Amino acid sequence: MASIIRPSLLAQLRAAPLSRRVFSTRSLPTIGSCSNPSRRPAIRSHGEPASLAARSSILPHSVGFHATPARPILPPLPQRIQGTTNEAQPIVEHSATEGGYHWAFERIIAVTLVPLTVAPFAAGSMHPVIDAALCATIIIHSHIGFDAMITDYLPKKRVPKTRKLFEWGLRAGTLVVAVGLYEFETNDVGLTEAISRIWHA
Amino acid sequence: MIWTRGVASAAAEQSFVPASKTSTVKEPTDEPAAKMKKFHIYRWNPDAPTEKPRMQTYSIDLNKTGPMVLDALIRIKNEIDPTLTFRRSCREGICGSCAMNIDGINTLACLCRIPTKTTQEMRIYPLPHTYVVKDLVPDLTLFYKQYKSIQPYLQRDTPAPDGREYRQSKAERRKLDGLYECILCACCSTSCPSYWWNTELYLGPAILLQSYRWLADSRDERKQQRKDALNNSMSVFRCHTILNCSRTCPKGLNPALAIAEIKKSLAFA
Repeated sequence: MASIIRPSLLAQLRAAPLSRRVFSTRSLPTIGSCSNPSRRPAIRSHGEPASLAARSSILPHSVGFHATPARPILPPLPQRIQGTTNEAQPIVEHSATEGGYHWAFERIIAVTLVPLTVAPFAAGSMHPVIDAALCATIIIHSHIGFDAMITDYLPKKRVPKTRKLFEWGLRAGTLVVAVGLYEFETNDVGLTEAISRIWHA
Repeated sequence: MIWTRGVASAAAEQSFVPASKTSTVKEPTDEPAAKMKKFHIYRWNPDAPTEKPRMQTYSIDLNKTGPMVLDALIRIKNEIDPTLTFRRSCREGICGSCAMNIDGINTLACLCRIPTKTTQEMRIYPLPHTYVVKDLVPDLTLFYKQYKSIQPYLQRDTPAPDGREYRQSKAERRKLDGLYECILCACCSTSCPSYWWNTELYLGPAILLQSYRWLADSRDERKQQRKDALNNSMSVFRCHTILNCSRTCPKGLNPALAIAEIKKSLAFA
Protein backbone atom coordinates (compact mmCIF):
# COMPACT_ATOMS: atom_id res chain seq x y z
CA MET A 1 0.00 0.00 0.00
CA ALA A 2 2.78 2.35 0.91
CA SER A 3 4.53 1.55 -2.32
CA ILE A 4 1.97 3.59 -4.22
CA ILE A 5 3.33 6.73 -2.63
CA ARG A 6 5.48 8.43 -5.20
CA PRO A 7 9.18 7.63 -4.78
CA SER A 8 10.02 11.28 -5.20
CA LEU A 9 7.83 12.19 -2.24
CA LEU A 10 9.53 9.60 -0.10
CA ALA A 11 12.85 10.92 -1.24
CA GLN A 12 11.86 14.43 -0.24
CA LEU A 13 10.84 13.19 3.19
CA ARG A 14 14.16 11.48 3.63
CA ALA A 15 16.37 14.14 2.10
CA ALA A 16 16.93 16.13 5.27
CA PRO A 17 17.92 13.47 7.84
CA LEU A 18 20.01 11.59 5.33
CA SER A 19 22.18 14.47 4.27
CA ARG A 20 25.04 13.31 6.46
CA ARG A 21 24.98 9.86 4.94
CA VAL A 22 24.93 11.32 1.47
CA PHE A 23 28.10 13.26 2.09
CA SER A 24 29.80 10.15 3.39
CA THR A 25 28.96 8.16 0.27
CA ARG A 26 30.31 10.88 -1.97
CA SER A 27 33.78 10.34 -0.57
CA LEU A 28 33.67 6.66 -1.54
CA PRO A 29 35.81 5.61 -4.51
CA THR A 30 33.14 5.42 -7.18
CA ILE A 31 34.30 5.06 -10.77
CA GLY A 32 32.11 7.53 -12.59
CA SER A 33 30.87 10.48 -10.65
CA CYS A 34 27.21 11.28 -10.93
CA SER A 35 26.95 14.30 -13.17
CA ASN A 36 24.40 15.98 -10.95
CA PRO A 37 25.53 15.76 -7.33
CA SER A 38 22.56 17.78 -6.11
CA ARG A 39 20.27 14.96 -7.21
CA ARG A 40 22.12 12.39 -5.15
CA PRO A 41 20.13 12.64 -1.96
CA ALA A 42 16.98 11.87 -3.88
CA ILE A 43 18.19 8.71 -5.53
CA ARG A 44 20.74 7.52 -3.07
CA SER A 45 18.48 7.30 -0.09
CA HIS A 46 19.06 3.63 0.55
CA GLY A 47 22.48 2.99 -0.92
CA GLU A 48 24.63 0.36 0.72
CA PRO A 49 28.09 1.46 1.88
CA ALA A 50 29.81 -0.21 -1.09
CA SER A 51 28.38 1.57 -4.08
CA LEU A 52 26.87 -0.38 -6.93
CA ALA A 53 28.77 1.76 -9.38
CA ALA A 54 32.05 0.60 -7.91
CA ARG A 55 31.07 -3.05 -8.31
CA SER A 56 29.97 -2.75 -11.90
CA SER A 57 32.59 -2.83 -14.60
CA ILE A 58 30.65 -1.74 -17.67
CA LEU A 59 28.14 0.57 -16.04
CA PRO A 60 30.03 3.53 -14.67
CA HIS A 61 27.16 6.00 -14.31
CA SER A 62 25.00 4.13 -11.87
CA VAL A 63 23.49 5.07 -8.58
CA GLY A 64 21.65 3.09 -5.95
CA PHE A 65 17.93 3.06 -6.45
CA HIS A 66 15.10 2.28 -4.09
CA ALA A 67 11.51 3.21 -4.69
CA THR A 68 9.88 1.68 -1.63
CA PRO A 69 10.30 2.54 2.03
CA ALA A 70 12.43 0.38 4.32
CA ARG A 71 9.46 -1.38 5.88
CA PRO A 72 6.52 -1.45 3.48
CA ILE A 73 3.21 -2.44 5.03
CA LEU A 74 2.52 -5.26 2.58
CA PRO A 75 5.75 -5.96 0.67
CA PRO A 76 5.22 -7.82 -2.60
CA LEU A 77 5.70 -11.56 -2.36
CA PRO A 78 7.55 -13.55 -5.00
CA GLN A 79 5.37 -14.07 -8.03
CA ARG A 80 3.31 -17.27 -7.92
CA ILE A 81 1.48 -18.35 -11.04
CA GLN A 82 -1.46 -20.72 -10.55
CA GLY A 83 -1.26 -23.67 -12.92
CA THR A 84 0.72 -23.51 -16.13
CA THR A 85 1.24 -20.35 -18.13
CA ASN A 86 -1.19 -21.59 -20.78
CA GLU A 87 -4.09 -22.14 -18.40
CA ALA A 88 -6.64 -19.40 -17.91
CA GLN A 89 -6.81 -17.57 -14.59
CA PRO A 90 -9.64 -19.17 -12.53
CA ILE A 91 -12.93 -17.28 -12.43
CA VAL A 92 -13.85 -15.69 -9.08
CA GLU A 93 -16.78 -17.47 -7.44
CA HIS A 94 -20.06 -15.59 -7.39
CA SER A 95 -22.07 -14.70 -4.32
CA ALA A 96 -25.69 -13.53 -4.44
CA THR A 97 -24.96 -10.44 -2.37
CA GLU A 98 -22.05 -9.34 -4.54
CA GLY A 99 -21.58 -8.04 -8.04
CA GLY A 100 -24.26 -6.20 -9.96
CA TYR A 101 -26.92 -6.21 -7.24
CA HIS A 102 -24.51 -4.85 -4.66
CA TRP A 103 -23.31 -2.15 -7.03
CA ALA A 104 -26.86 -1.04 -7.94
CA PHE A 105 -27.84 -0.99 -4.26
CA GLU A 106 -24.76 1.11 -3.48
CA ARG A 107 -25.71 3.65 -6.17
CA ILE A 108 -29.35 3.82 -5.09
CA ILE A 109 -28.33 4.45 -1.47
CA ALA A 110 -25.88 7.16 -2.53
CA VAL A 111 -28.47 8.88 -4.72
CA THR A 112 -31.14 8.65 -1.97
CA LEU A 113 -28.83 10.54 0.39
CA VAL A 114 -29.06 13.70 -1.72
CA PRO A 115 -32.81 14.44 -1.32
CA LEU A 116 -32.76 13.18 2.27
CA THR A 117 -30.01 15.65 3.14
CA VAL A 118 -31.68 18.56 1.38
CA ALA A 119 -35.32 17.84 2.33
CA PRO A 120 -35.40 18.91 6.02
CA PHE A 121 -33.63 22.19 5.28
CA ALA A 122 -35.67 22.90 2.16
CA ALA A 123 -38.97 22.11 3.89
CA GLY A 124 -37.95 23.91 7.07
CA SER A 125 -39.37 21.22 9.34
CA MET A 126 -37.52 18.42 11.10
CA HIS A 127 -39.83 15.46 10.67
CA PRO A 128 -38.59 12.48 12.72
CA VAL A 129 -39.38 9.99 9.94
CA ILE A 130 -37.14 11.81 7.45
CA ASP A 131 -34.50 12.07 10.16
CA ALA A 132 -34.67 8.33 10.82
CA ALA A 133 -34.47 7.56 7.09
CA LEU A 134 -31.42 9.84 6.76
CA CYS A 135 -29.68 8.12 9.69
CA ALA A 136 -30.39 4.64 8.29
CA THR A 137 -29.12 5.61 4.83
CA ILE A 138 -25.96 7.19 6.22
CA ILE A 139 -25.20 4.04 8.21
CA ILE A 140 -25.66 1.75 5.20
CA HIS A 141 -23.72 4.12 2.94
CA SER A 142 -20.73 4.39 5.27
CA HIS A 143 -20.76 0.64 5.96
CA ILE A 144 -20.58 -0.09 2.22
CA GLY A 145 -17.85 2.52 1.81
CA PHE A 146 -15.63 1.12 4.56
CA ASP A 147 -16.31 -2.41 3.35
CA ALA A 148 -15.03 -1.43 -0.12
CA MET A 149 -11.81 -0.17 1.50
CA ILE A 150 -11.32 -3.45 3.35
CA THR A 151 -11.89 -5.41 0.13
CA ASP A 152 -9.39 -3.20 -1.69
CA TYR A 153 -6.58 -3.03 0.83
CA LEU A 154 -6.79 -6.31 2.73
CA PRO A 155 -6.66 -9.17 0.24
CA LYS A 156 -8.34 -12.31 1.57
CA LYS A 157 -5.52 -14.49 0.30
CA ARG A 158 -2.69 -12.42 1.72
CA VAL A 159 -3.99 -11.39 5.16
CA PRO A 160 -6.98 -13.66 5.94
CA LYS A 161 -6.97 -13.06 9.70
CA THR A 162 -6.59 -9.29 9.48
CA ARG A 163 -9.33 -9.25 6.87
CA LYS A 164 -11.70 -11.15 9.19
CA LEU A 165 -10.76 -8.87 12.09
CA PHE A 166 -11.48 -5.72 10.11
CA GLU A 167 -14.72 -7.11 8.70
CA TRP A 168 -16.04 -7.90 12.16
CA GLY A 169 -14.63 -4.64 13.49
CA LEU A 170 -16.58 -2.78 10.82
CA ARG A 171 -19.77 -4.69 11.67
CA ALA A 172 -19.31 -3.90 15.35
CA GLY A 173 -18.61 -0.27 14.54
CA THR A 174 -21.69 0.02 12.34
CA LEU A 175 -23.80 -1.55 15.09
CA VAL A 176 -22.45 0.87 17.72
CA VAL A 177 -23.13 3.84 15.44
CA ALA A 178 -26.65 2.54 14.70
CA VAL A 179 -27.45 2.14 18.40
CA GLY A 180 -25.93 5.53 19.17
CA LEU A 181 -27.94 7.28 16.45
CA TYR A 182 -31.10 5.48 17.62
CA GLU A 183 -30.53 6.76 21.15
CA PHE A 184 -29.81 10.24 19.82
CA GLU A 185 -32.97 10.21 17.74
CA THR A 186 -35.27 8.91 20.49
CA ASN A 187 -33.87 10.59 23.61
CA ASP A 188 -32.33 13.76 22.18
CA VAL A 189 -33.03 16.36 19.48
CA GLY A 190 -32.12 14.21 16.47
CA LEU A 191 -29.43 14.46 13.81
CA THR A 192 -30.82 17.23 11.58
CA GLU A 193 -31.79 19.42 14.51
CA ALA A 194 -28.35 18.95 16.07
CA ILE A 195 -26.57 19.96 12.83
CA SER A 196 -28.94 22.92 12.51
CA ARG A 197 -28.16 24.08 16.05
CA ILE A 198 -24.40 23.73 15.56
CA TRP A 199 -24.75 25.67 12.30
CA HIS A 200 -26.60 28.52 13.97
CA ALA A 201 -24.52 28.48 17.15
CA MET B 1 62.90 40.10 -69.33
CA ILE B 2 64.09 41.53 -66.03
CA TRP B 3 60.55 42.67 -65.30
CA THR B 4 59.03 39.26 -65.84
CA ARG B 5 61.71 37.61 -63.76
CA GLY B 6 60.85 40.01 -60.94
CA VAL B 7 57.24 38.83 -60.95
CA ALA B 8 58.28 35.20 -60.85
CA SER B 9 60.51 35.80 -57.87
CA ALA B 10 57.70 37.62 -56.07
CA ALA B 11 55.44 34.58 -56.61
CA ALA B 12 58.17 32.32 -55.27
CA GLU B 13 58.49 34.53 -52.20
CA GLN B 14 54.76 34.31 -51.62
CA SER B 15 54.84 30.51 -51.47
CA PHE B 16 57.03 30.74 -48.38
CA VAL B 17 54.28 32.38 -46.26
CA PRO B 18 53.89 30.08 -43.20
CA ALA B 19 50.64 28.03 -43.03
CA SER B 20 49.61 29.74 -39.82
CA LYS B 21 49.29 33.06 -41.66
CA THR B 22 47.04 31.82 -44.46
CA SER B 23 43.25 31.79 -44.30
CA THR B 24 41.58 28.38 -44.46
CA VAL B 25 38.46 27.52 -46.40
CA LYS B 26 36.62 24.57 -44.79
CA GLU B 27 34.37 22.16 -46.58
CA PRO B 28 30.79 23.32 -45.82
CA THR B 29 29.21 21.17 -43.06
CA ASP B 30 25.66 21.29 -41.74
CA GLU B 31 26.42 19.26 -38.63
CA PRO B 32 25.06 21.27 -35.71
CA ALA B 33 26.46 21.30 -32.22
CA ALA B 34 25.83 18.13 -30.19
CA LYS B 35 22.56 18.11 -28.26
CA MET B 36 23.36 15.83 -25.37
CA LYS B 37 20.40 14.60 -23.36
CA LYS B 38 20.44 12.39 -20.30
CA PHE B 39 18.35 9.25 -19.99
CA HIS B 40 17.98 7.62 -16.58
CA ILE B 41 17.00 4.01 -17.10
CA TYR B 42 15.95 1.37 -14.57
CA ARG B 43 18.34 -1.56 -14.53
CA TRP B 44 18.04 -4.93 -12.86
CA ASN B 45 19.91 -8.03 -13.82
CA PRO B 46 18.43 -11.45 -12.92
CA ASP B 47 21.91 -12.96 -13.11
CA ALA B 48 22.85 -10.92 -10.04
CA PRO B 49 19.62 -11.24 -8.03
CA THR B 50 21.14 -10.03 -4.77
CA GLU B 51 21.96 -6.65 -6.27
CA LYS B 52 19.30 -4.04 -5.88
CA PRO B 53 17.72 -2.44 -8.93
CA ARG B 54 19.47 0.79 -9.84
CA MET B 55 19.14 3.74 -12.17
CA GLN B 56 21.64 4.01 -15.01
CA THR B 57 22.33 7.29 -16.76
CA TYR B 58 23.09 7.45 -20.46
CA SER B 59 23.94 10.67 -22.26
CA ILE B 60 23.28 10.64 -26.00
CA ASP B 61 23.36 13.16 -28.83
CA LEU B 62 19.81 13.87 -30.00
CA ASN B 63 21.10 14.95 -33.44
CA LYS B 64 22.24 11.41 -34.10
CA THR B 65 19.10 9.82 -32.65
CA GLY B 66 15.61 9.35 -34.06
CA PRO B 67 12.72 11.36 -32.64
CA MET B 68 11.15 8.67 -30.44
CA VAL B 69 12.21 7.21 -27.12
CA LEU B 70 12.50 3.77 -28.72
CA ASP B 71 15.06 5.19 -31.16
CA ALA B 72 17.08 6.42 -28.21
CA LEU B 73 16.86 3.03 -26.48
CA ILE B 74 17.89 1.16 -29.62
CA ARG B 75 20.80 3.55 -30.11
CA ILE B 76 21.93 3.08 -26.51
CA LYS B 77 21.75 -0.69 -26.97
CA ASN B 78 23.58 -0.62 -30.31
CA GLU B 79 26.29 1.89 -29.54
CA ILE B 80 26.72 2.37 -25.79
CA ASP B 81 25.56 -0.55 -23.68
CA PRO B 82 24.50 -3.84 -25.30
CA THR B 83 23.36 -5.24 -21.93
CA LEU B 84 20.34 -2.89 -21.82
CA THR B 85 17.26 -5.07 -22.24
CA PHE B 86 13.81 -4.10 -23.50
CA ARG B 87 11.06 -5.52 -25.70
CA ARG B 88 10.35 -3.99 -29.06
CA SER B 89 9.09 -5.18 -32.37
CA CYS B 90 7.07 -3.07 -34.80
CA ARG B 91 8.35 0.43 -33.83
CA GLU B 92 5.03 1.95 -34.96
CA GLY B 93 2.62 1.38 -32.08
CA ILE B 94 0.81 -1.73 -33.27
CA CYS B 95 2.52 -4.58 -31.42
CA GLY B 96 2.48 -3.18 -27.89
CA SER B 97 5.85 -4.70 -26.97
CA CYS B 98 7.66 -1.53 -25.93
CA ALA B 99 5.19 -0.48 -23.21
CA MET B 100 7.11 1.16 -20.37
CA ASN B 101 6.88 3.97 -17.87
CA ILE B 102 8.43 7.06 -19.46
CA ASP B 103 8.65 10.20 -17.33
CA GLY B 104 5.96 8.84 -15.04
CA ILE B 105 3.45 7.88 -17.72
CA ASN B 106 2.85 4.39 -19.06
CA THR B 107 3.17 4.56 -22.79
CA LEU B 108 4.73 2.92 -25.82
CA ALA B 109 8.33 3.98 -26.31
CA CYS B 110 7.81 3.96 -30.07
CA LEU B 111 4.94 6.48 -29.87
CA CYS B 112 6.59 8.75 -27.29
CA ARG B 113 8.60 11.66 -28.64
CA ILE B 114 11.79 12.70 -26.88
CA PRO B 115 11.31 16.25 -25.58
CA THR B 116 13.93 18.32 -27.39
CA LYS B 117 14.76 20.32 -24.26
CA THR B 118 18.14 18.92 -23.28
CA THR B 119 18.02 20.30 -19.75
CA GLN B 120 15.07 18.01 -19.07
CA GLU B 121 16.32 14.52 -18.18
CA MET B 122 14.22 11.49 -19.05
CA ARG B 123 13.43 8.71 -16.63
CA ILE B 124 12.44 5.31 -17.97
CA TYR B 125 11.10 2.49 -15.78
CA PRO B 126 9.39 -0.81 -16.58
CA LEU B 127 5.60 -0.92 -16.24
CA PRO B 128 4.81 -0.19 -12.59
CA HIS B 129 3.84 -2.97 -10.16
CA THR B 130 4.90 -5.75 -12.48
CA TYR B 131 7.42 -8.46 -11.75
CA VAL B 132 10.52 -7.52 -13.70
CA VAL B 133 12.22 -10.15 -15.86
CA LYS B 134 15.16 -7.91 -16.68
CA ASP B 135 15.69 -4.13 -16.97
CA LEU B 136 12.61 -2.83 -18.82
CA VAL B 137 11.03 -6.23 -19.48
CA PRO B 138 8.00 -6.96 -17.27
CA ASP B 139 6.49 -10.40 -16.68
CA LEU B 140 3.01 -10.35 -18.23
CA THR B 141 2.14 -14.01 -17.58
CA LEU B 142 -0.75 -13.18 -15.26
CA PHE B 143 -2.03 -10.54 -17.66
CA TYR B 144 -2.25 -13.10 -20.48
CA LYS B 145 -3.79 -15.73 -18.18
CA GLN B 146 -6.48 -13.23 -17.27
CA TYR B 147 -7.00 -12.47 -20.94
CA LYS B 148 -7.49 -16.17 -21.58
CA SER B 149 -10.03 -16.41 -18.74
CA ILE B 150 -12.49 -14.08 -20.52
CA GLN B 151 -12.55 -16.39 -23.58
CA PRO B 152 -11.61 -13.73 -26.13
CA TYR B 153 -13.07 -15.41 -29.20
CA LEU B 154 -16.40 -15.61 -30.99
CA GLN B 155 -18.73 -18.18 -29.44
CA ARG B 156 -22.03 -19.13 -31.05
CA ASP B 157 -24.10 -22.24 -31.70
CA THR B 158 -26.42 -21.24 -34.54
CA PRO B 159 -24.86 -21.40 -37.98
CA ALA B 160 -24.95 -18.39 -40.29
CA PRO B 161 -28.29 -18.06 -42.15
CA ASP B 162 -26.64 -18.04 -45.55
CA GLY B 163 -24.16 -20.70 -44.49
CA ARG B 164 -21.23 -18.47 -45.37
CA GLU B 165 -20.44 -15.77 -42.81
CA TYR B 166 -21.87 -14.08 -39.71
CA ARG B 167 -23.15 -10.76 -40.97
CA GLN B 168 -23.38 -7.51 -39.05
CA SER B 169 -25.16 -4.27 -39.81
CA LYS B 170 -23.11 -1.11 -40.03
CA ALA B 171 -24.54 0.05 -36.69
CA GLU B 172 -23.59 -3.24 -35.04
CA ARG B 173 -20.10 -3.01 -36.42
CA ARG B 174 -19.78 0.57 -35.22
CA LYS B 175 -20.20 -0.65 -31.63
CA LEU B 176 -16.82 -2.36 -31.89
CA ASP B 177 -14.99 0.83 -32.85
CA GLY B 178 -12.79 1.95 -29.99
CA LEU B 179 -12.67 -1.65 -28.70
CA TYR B 180 -11.02 -3.71 -31.41
CA GLU B 181 -8.04 -1.32 -31.66
CA CYS B 182 -6.67 -2.42 -28.28
CA ILE B 183 -3.24 -3.98 -28.68
CA LEU B 184 -2.99 -5.39 -25.12
CA CYS B 185 0.14 -3.45 -24.23
CA ALA B 186 -0.89 -3.48 -20.55
CA CYS B 187 -0.23 0.26 -20.13
CA CYS B 188 -3.73 0.86 -18.71
CA SER B 189 -3.87 -2.16 -16.40
CA THR B 190 -0.50 -1.39 -14.83
CA SER B 191 -1.46 2.26 -14.31
CA CYS B 192 -4.58 1.32 -12.32
CA PRO B 193 -4.12 1.51 -8.52
CA SER B 194 -6.96 -0.94 -8.03
CA TYR B 195 -5.15 -3.41 -10.27
CA TRP B 196 -2.00 -2.87 -8.20
CA TRP B 197 -3.86 -3.81 -5.03
CA ASN B 198 -5.76 -6.83 -6.36
CA THR B 199 -3.78 -7.98 -9.38
CA GLU B 200 -4.81 -11.63 -9.14
CA LEU B 201 -8.57 -11.11 -8.75
CA TYR B 202 -9.40 -7.83 -10.48
CA LEU B 203 -9.20 -8.22 -14.24
CA GLY B 204 -7.95 -4.69 -14.94
CA PRO B 205 -8.96 -2.19 -17.63
CA ALA B 206 -7.31 -3.87 -20.63
CA ILE B 207 -8.94 -7.25 -20.04
CA LEU B 208 -12.30 -5.64 -19.24
CA LEU B 209 -12.15 -3.62 -22.45
CA GLN B 210 -11.62 -6.90 -24.30
CA SER B 211 -14.42 -8.45 -22.28
CA TYR B 212 -16.76 -5.69 -23.39
CA ARG B 213 -15.55 -6.09 -26.97
CA TRP B 214 -17.17 -9.59 -26.93
CA LEU B 215 -20.21 -8.46 -24.95
CA ALA B 216 -20.84 -5.73 -27.54
CA ASP B 217 -20.36 -8.05 -30.51
CA SER B 218 -23.72 -8.78 -32.14
CA ARG B 219 -22.46 -12.13 -33.48
CA ASP B 220 -21.55 -13.58 -30.07
CA GLU B 221 -24.18 -15.79 -28.42
CA ARG B 222 -22.62 -16.44 -25.01
CA LYS B 223 -23.33 -13.03 -23.52
CA GLN B 224 -25.08 -14.42 -20.44
CA GLN B 225 -22.21 -16.81 -19.60
CA ARG B 226 -19.74 -13.99 -20.11
CA LYS B 227 -21.71 -11.73 -17.78
CA ASP B 228 -22.09 -14.46 -15.14
CA ALA B 229 -18.33 -14.94 -15.10
CA LEU B 230 -17.85 -11.23 -14.39
CA ASN B 231 -20.68 -10.80 -11.89
CA ASN B 232 -18.73 -10.96 -8.62
CA SER B 233 -17.17 -8.45 -6.27
CA MET B 234 -13.66 -8.71 -7.69
CA SER B 235 -13.57 -9.11 -11.50
CA VAL B 236 -15.25 -5.84 -12.50
CA PHE B 237 -16.43 -4.01 -9.40
CA ARG B 238 -12.95 -3.28 -8.07
CA CYS B 239 -12.97 -0.47 -10.66
CA HIS B 240 -13.42 2.78 -8.76
CA THR B 241 -13.43 5.01 -11.85
CA ILE B 242 -9.95 6.32 -11.15
CA LEU B 243 -9.63 6.83 -14.93
CA ASN B 244 -5.85 6.39 -15.09
CA CYS B 245 -6.54 3.84 -17.81
CA SER B 246 -8.18 6.28 -20.19
CA ARG B 247 -5.57 8.93 -19.51
CA THR B 248 -2.59 6.69 -20.18
CA CYS B 249 -3.82 4.64 -23.17
CA PRO B 250 -1.23 5.18 -25.95
CA LYS B 251 -3.85 4.26 -28.54
CA GLY B 252 -6.33 6.86 -27.27
CA LEU B 253 -8.98 4.31 -26.27
CA ASN B 254 -11.35 4.60 -23.31
CA PRO B 255 -11.28 1.44 -21.16
CA ALA B 256 -13.13 3.24 -18.34
CA LEU B 257 -16.16 3.71 -20.60
CA ALA B 258 -16.15 0.02 -21.49
CA ILE B 259 -16.02 -0.90 -17.78
CA ALA B 260 -18.89 1.48 -17.06
CA GLU B 261 -20.93 -0.25 -19.79
CA ILE B 262 -20.17 -3.65 -18.27
CA LYS B 263 -21.21 -2.40 -14.81
CA LYS B 264 -24.47 -1.03 -16.19
CA SER B 265 -25.27 -4.24 -18.03
CA LEU B 266 -24.57 -6.28 -14.88
CA ALA B 267 -26.52 -4.04 -12.51
CA PHE B 268 -29.56 -2.92 -14.48
CA ALA B 269 -30.27 -5.77 -16.88
